[in-house]
Amino acid sequence: MSVPVDYYVLLSMALFCIGLFGILTRRNALMFLMSVEIMLNAANVNLIAFAFYHGNLTGQVFALFTMALAAAEVAVGLGIILVLYRNFRDVDVTVPSAMRW
Amino acid sequence: MATAFEFAPAIALFPLAAFVIALVFGDYMPKKGAFAGIFATAGSLLLSLWVLATVAGGEPYNEQLYQWAIGDQIGFHFGILLDPLSALMLVIVSLIALLVHIFSLGYMNAEGETGLRRYYAELGLFTFSMLAFVFADNLLMAFMFFELVGLCSYLLIGFWFRTESAPSAAKKAFLVTRFGDYFFLVGVVAIAATFGTLSFAGTESFPTAAEAAIDNGETLFGFDAETWVTITGLLVLGGVIGKSAQFPLHTWLPDAMEGPTTVSALIHAATMVAAGVYLVARMFGFYAQSPTALSIIAFVGGFTALFAATMGVVKDDIKQVLAYSTISQYGYMMLGLGVGGYVAGVFHLMNHAFFKALLFLGAGAVIILMHHEQDMWKMGGLKDKAPVAYYTFLSGALALAGIVPFSGFWSKDEVLFDALIVGLEQPLFLAAYAMGLIGVFFTGFYTFRMVFLTFHGEPRTDAARDPHPIGWSVKVPLIVLGVLALVAGVVNLAPIGKLTGAEITFLEFWLDGEYGAIEGLTYHAYHEAVPFAEGYIGTETVTMLVGAGLSLGLALAGAGLAYSLYNVPEPVPHTEKLGSVRTLLRSNYYQDEYQVWLAEGLTLPLARAADRFDQGVIDGVVNGVSSVSLFGSGWIKRIQTGVVTNYAALLVLGFIALLVVLGLHGGWFA
Amino acid sequence: MAPLIELHSWSALAPTLILALTGLVLFVFDSIDPRSTNRSALAGISTAGALASLGVAVWYIVAGVGDPTRRGTFDLFGGQLIVDQMALFFMVVVAVVTAMVSIASYDYFLEHAYQAEYYSLMLLAATGMSTMAAANSLVTVFIALELASLPSFALVAILKTNRGSVEAGLKYFLIGALSSAIFVYGISLVYGATGYMQLEAIAQNLEGAEGFSGLLGLGVVMLIGGFAYKTASVPFHFWAPEAYEGAPAPISAFLSSASKAAGFVIAFRVFATAFPIETMADIGIDWTLAFVILAIVTMTIGNFAAATQENVKRMLAYSSVGHAGYALIGLAGLTGTGSNDVVLGAAMMHLLVYGFMNTGAFLFIALAEYWGVGRTFEDYNGLAKQAPMASAAMTIFMFSLAGIPPFGGFFSKYFLLTGAIDAGLLVVAVALVVNSALSLYYYSRLVKALWIEEPVVERDSLTQPTGLYVAIIFAAVMTVVILPGFGPVADTAIEAAAAVVP
Repeated sequence: MSVPVDYYVLLSMALFCIGLFGILTRRNALMFLMSVEIMLNAANVNLIAFAFYHGNLTGQVFALFTMALAAAEVAVGLGIILVLYRNFRDVDVTVPSAMRW
Repeated sequence: MATAFEFAPAIALFPLAAFVIALVFGDYMPKKGAFAGIFATAGSLLLSLWVLATVAGGEPYNEQLYQWAIGDQIGFHFGILLDPLSALMLVIVSLIALLVHIFSLGYMNAEGETGLRRYYAELGLFTFSMLAFVFADNLLMAFMFFELVGLCSYLLIGFWFRTESAPSAAKKAFLVTRFGDYFFLVGVVAIAATFGTLSFAGTESFPTAAEAAIDNGETLFGFDAETWVTITGLLVLGGVIGKSAQFPLHTWLPDAMEGPTTVSALIHAATMVAAGVYLVARMFGFYAQSPTALSIIAFVGGFTALFAATMGVVKDDIKQVLAYSTISQYGYMMLGLGVGGYVAGVFHLMNHAFFKALLFLGAGAVIILMHHEQDMWKMGGLKDKAPVAYYTFLSGALALAGIVPFSGFWSKDEVLFDALIVGLEQPLFLAAYAMGLIGVFFTGFYTFRMVFLTFHGEPRTDAARDPHPIGWSVKVPLIVLGVLALVAGVVNLAPIGKLTGAEITFLEFWLDGEYGAIEGLTYHAYHEAVPFAEGYIGTETVTMLVGAGLSLGLALAGAGLAYSLYNVPEPVPHTEKLGSVRTLLRSNYYQDEYQVWLAEGLTLPLARAADRFDQGVIDGVVNGVSSVSLFGSGWIKRIQTGVVTNYAALLVLGFIALLVVLGLHGGWFA
Repeated sequence: MAPLIELHSWSALAPTLILALTGLVLFVFDSIDPRSTNRSALAGISTAGALASLGVAVWYIVAGVGDPTRRGTFDLFGGQLIVDQMALFFMVVVAVVTAMVSIASYDYFLEHAYQAEYYSLMLLAATGMSTMAAANSLVTVFIALELASLPSFALVAILKTNRGSVEAGLKYFLIGALSSAIFVYGISLVYGATGYMQLEAIAQNLEGAEGFSGLLGLGVVMLIGGFAYKTASVPFHFWAPEAYEGAPAPISAFLSSASKAAGFVIAFRVFATAFPIETMADIGIDWTLAFVILAIVTMTIGNFAAATQENVKRMLAYSSVGHAGYALIGLAGLTGTGSNDVVLGAAMMHLLVYGFMNTGAFLFIALAEYWGVGRTFEDYNGLAKQAPMASAAMTIFMFSLAGIPPFGGFFSKYFLLTGAIDAGLLVVAVALVVNSALSLYYYSRLVKALWIEEPVVERDSLTQPTGLYVAIIFAAVMTVVILPGFGPVADTAIEAAAAVVP
């Protein structure tokens, strides 16, 4: 007996909200990045569960794409965090706020 | 085979080309562009004559040329309407314009004026505007060129803009006529809104529509149709009164004498002032629907004829006398049109064009003779020294005074005859007739006072003793016009026709479409539409003889009085004996004063109040809106705090808000 | 007329492929000569590639590719990509902006260390944008979007020692990462509700999604969020003012013109194809309402915030947000009551014209940064005396952005206005008019500074960098001549829109 799709959706939504909570509360850029990763993986859970539910592979394949893109995103993100640290001597995302209004 | 009508637009476009040429190349041309104007107006005259001949051949023309705005209900277009009336007027205007151009060679070029390029350019534009106004086929086009005519008079009256009086006179002319034109414009809009068309002729014309509306007893804008026609007609009449210098908007015209005398000739004889009366004749089918409007036209005309004539009696400046005579003569035309005498009005318009152009050009010649002196008391005795000027001027004066057999007699007599026969049935009009009749006496008097003071007696100054010679370019126009002033009457010898039974009222046949005209634009059609009954003293012939005798007698009496008072070697200013009346007349009945008082006492406070409203309320609102916007701007941009975590929060909040709105709208939570 | 050469169907993607190839060529160049400062070669290669892409795209449009009545549309990879008129239209926009920015970068990055990286990243981002124009499945949409985004993050932060650039890059990246997480989650929900990712297939399976209308609604709103991020629309616009201000000006031009246009094309295609209005309204998801709200709020916030800026670049950044609001009318107006093709076509035209005038305006900022005259309105005072040509071009851009008649911006805005009125969106029309009036205030303020004000400080005479001047003058000329050429442009846009909307 398989687990109904609703539970997967609830799980992924919980993951999504956890990630969102992390983004809203964490000031460390790396934690911010990790939170985004959790949100992306919430989507992946959905995709795979729905692929199973609908009986086609589109979702699973797309989940693979998403993982690859998430990796690429992290790569660029880490690069930016690196230059952030070089310029501001900090990885706190709230520090660079010279541009406003 | 090209017809005359294909070239018709060129009648107006020639002077326009002359305007451009004179404006651009005037300084490099011989005579500063005069020849461009002369050739252009000569071309216009030839084409006009060709058109006249074609119309006489039974072929009127009414075509839209270019539609420049198209709406759902109404379209606006430029077009040409060539019927007997406009063909005749084209010839008159182009002829006078040509003669004025030629005369200018002697009056302006020979006298070493500066700014001639501007002068000839403006003259070309002026002629263009008037010609285009004359052949306009709809009221809006007429209005546009009417305004252009006004603009050109402004420019030309203010030609000597370095003097103090000329610019002020130009401004006055512009503003006073503009005051009337304001009503005209409202009238144009009203007519367009009511009848959905502005065409003068054809089945789709507004006079036809007005007639149909009255016949069907329609209610337009809460008025019955006839009242509405009266209201709109009177609004248009506002423009006419301004342009044709009728009481009470005549005050600009005497001041307009500040312009060069040639310009005065053009303004008074053929263009600016004539435009008003011509417009009434052009849309006579519309006015014919409204007895009230016609009565007002008649009374304004009759009153102005008398009123202006009395003021002419006491003027010392030769051009001022002529200015008042112009106002008075246009009063006669209005009187004629107002009593339904369409032919009489147009006839007088034509004759007046010739003799008034003659008189002004004659006055110009006198001014040349007198080394630019205009005061008649400093003249005298010019008769022998300048016979051409004298005899032609005399011809014009006789025509103006209405002495048989000069042209003015025939037309003025016809105007008065038409007023009389209408007055015999509707006694109210007898008052208008009486004013016209008394005006004849004054006309005779001031005309010959002018002639005697200028040409007769002993020379009273050195300038008059040794006049400046005048050249051919001055004499030729004078002779042409002098002959015309004498003989132009033969086109409509109505009294002789009635006495002998001979069919010699050619102008009446012409305007009645005997030789071809546009359906509905004939004297016949107008005459039927005019709601005035006509009565006679005994028979028609007796009435005519009585009327003619009365007016001729009065004219001769006026002339005779002038003869006895002023045809002496050393005339004295007899008008001073009039005492306080003279002061009143010389002050022009204080017309200027009361108008200035109106402007200062009424208009200025109103304008100030409007200004305060504009500055305070309107600008306040506008400024308020902008400062609120900028304040809002300062507030809105604070959303962007610069802290990226806040952005994430706001982003999520905005997203949730969108979700909630969409969910509520789509009923997801139900 | 028989075609000269019969090409394989994937050659329909040539404009995109050329961009990708150019990016790779630049990588090869870089790996052969890593420390190269041969700016002419690098800028030349990327410009040539962009121009080639532009040429092919224009040629395809003229030859009738994508026109259902002539060559027909090209479905590639089982409908994952589609080359129709709308795709080609936006490929043109992307290619032309890329070309202008490449030329301008030649002068702007005079002393810069990472020349080859810069150009190849730009070309790869352009490839992504060009692919977005052709994406016909949520999979390709997402991949193309990320392909456009990731190089953009790096490009914004490319001035590694400039704090502004780094700050801009960080904010852009963080908001971008958050938005793409939301977007991909939205995709997963739509997939869950319908079982498909290909756009036509989604549309066909909407009926089956009745039971999942809540999931589908949430998914659609999340997709809107993703598009709003890419097009810099409220409330996902927060990155835009900072990113445009902090990035090197040519990159600001690139992002605010090409990237925005690409964001709009996927939004147009996804919503017009996958979510037909009637069907969605039956389910209870009236997405046009969302776009109506977004359009009004976006144009209002963008223009109001722009009104009192002191920094010219930031003013343009906010004005770019405002223009996103105008272009959103293209989606808001798809209510079915008006003529859908006209209003969508109007938005496409606006994005094309915007591609010229906004790129030109940012390149003028690039020129000012090149001269080092400063950032604020006061710093621009009296520039017209020293650089009349460039200032005249900037004046054209400003008036065109404000929508003053003789220029292209007026016509596209006018079409948007009539489209909004036709669709019965009077509120949107009023907002458009009010915001345009307000925008005239700050645009003309810059014109006044350029031409009328006296300079605050004495400036040395200004040089005339060829690349920047060429790009600016070209943009100005296009902004002006697009007016006489508007007939064909409008026809193409409306035809392309008609093929997409039902």
